[in-house]
Amino acid sequence: MSPSIETGQPGVIVVGETKAKDELATPWNVIVHNDPINLMSYVTMVFMRVFGYARPRAETLMLEVHNMGRSLVWSGGREQAELYVQQLHSYQLLATMEKSVT
Amino acid sequence: MIDLNVQQLDEKRILISGIPTVLAAMLREMPEILELRDTSAARARLYPDPTAGNDKINQEWHQMTQPELRHLFVSAGETVGRDLTALTTDKEAGDVWQVAIPIEHVPAWMSAINQTRLILGEVHKIDEEGMNRTDFDPKSAADMAALRIHLLGYLLHLFVELDARYGAEDHI
Repeated sequence: MSPSIETGQPGVIVVGETKAKDELATPWNVIVHNDPINLMSYVTMVFMRVFGYARPRAETLMLEVHNMGRSLVWSGGREQAELYVQQLHSYQLLATMEKSVT
Repeated sequence: MIDLNVQQLDEKRILISGIPTVLAAMLREMPEILELRDTSAARARLYPDPTAGNDKINQEWHQMTQPELRHLFVSAGETVGRDLTALTTDKEAGDVWQVAIPIEHVPAWMSAINQTRLILGEVHKIDEEGMNRTDFDPKSAADMAALRIHLLGYLLHLFVELDARYGAEDHI
């Protein structure tokens, strides 16, 4: 990314780079949504397999999905978030990702 | 009383035994139900959007991941379809069925069973209330679909328990 070439204004470089760094630094959240069909035991197993979570944490997140309708199950870089969502979809869980607001 | 059991037979095989006739019939119907994966309702559930409302990301995502995901799902169904040709009656136990499957097919079975449950749920528009019902009208296609979802769910749960006993990495 080289905004100075496009604008010729040195100040824009700082703005552009800062924006790019912010984009990279902003974490993405992986959300799993409740659905009426998937078994609670199956969802727990998937959380353990995909994220490597211990059973207690996996069960806590599963219950959050079940009781609250959704749960933030992981937060971090965009590429990893995409990989996790893809894996969760391969297990047929309803998963989305969203940029963190904080 | 259902005495369905999923257990490790030896180092290479899993035995699914005590399969009641009604569940055996449902298992045989699975390949046909899985063919519905390309209907619009099932497609939306099996290949969900990765974001809530970012059309650009969603479109790119579907182009990139859907063919691979579909291949995975189809392959799992075909594996189970082939395994089901070995479904036989258990002469010692009476009017029940059994089938031995390779251990490496367990992920395919879990995937195919869950796909079937989800497709039935979408095709028959079964919601939380429908899943929680305990009285099933034999004349209602939706009720019979919910019953199928529960019975297949019981078998899936046994696979999950097996996975918990032996561990996903080492054995299954």
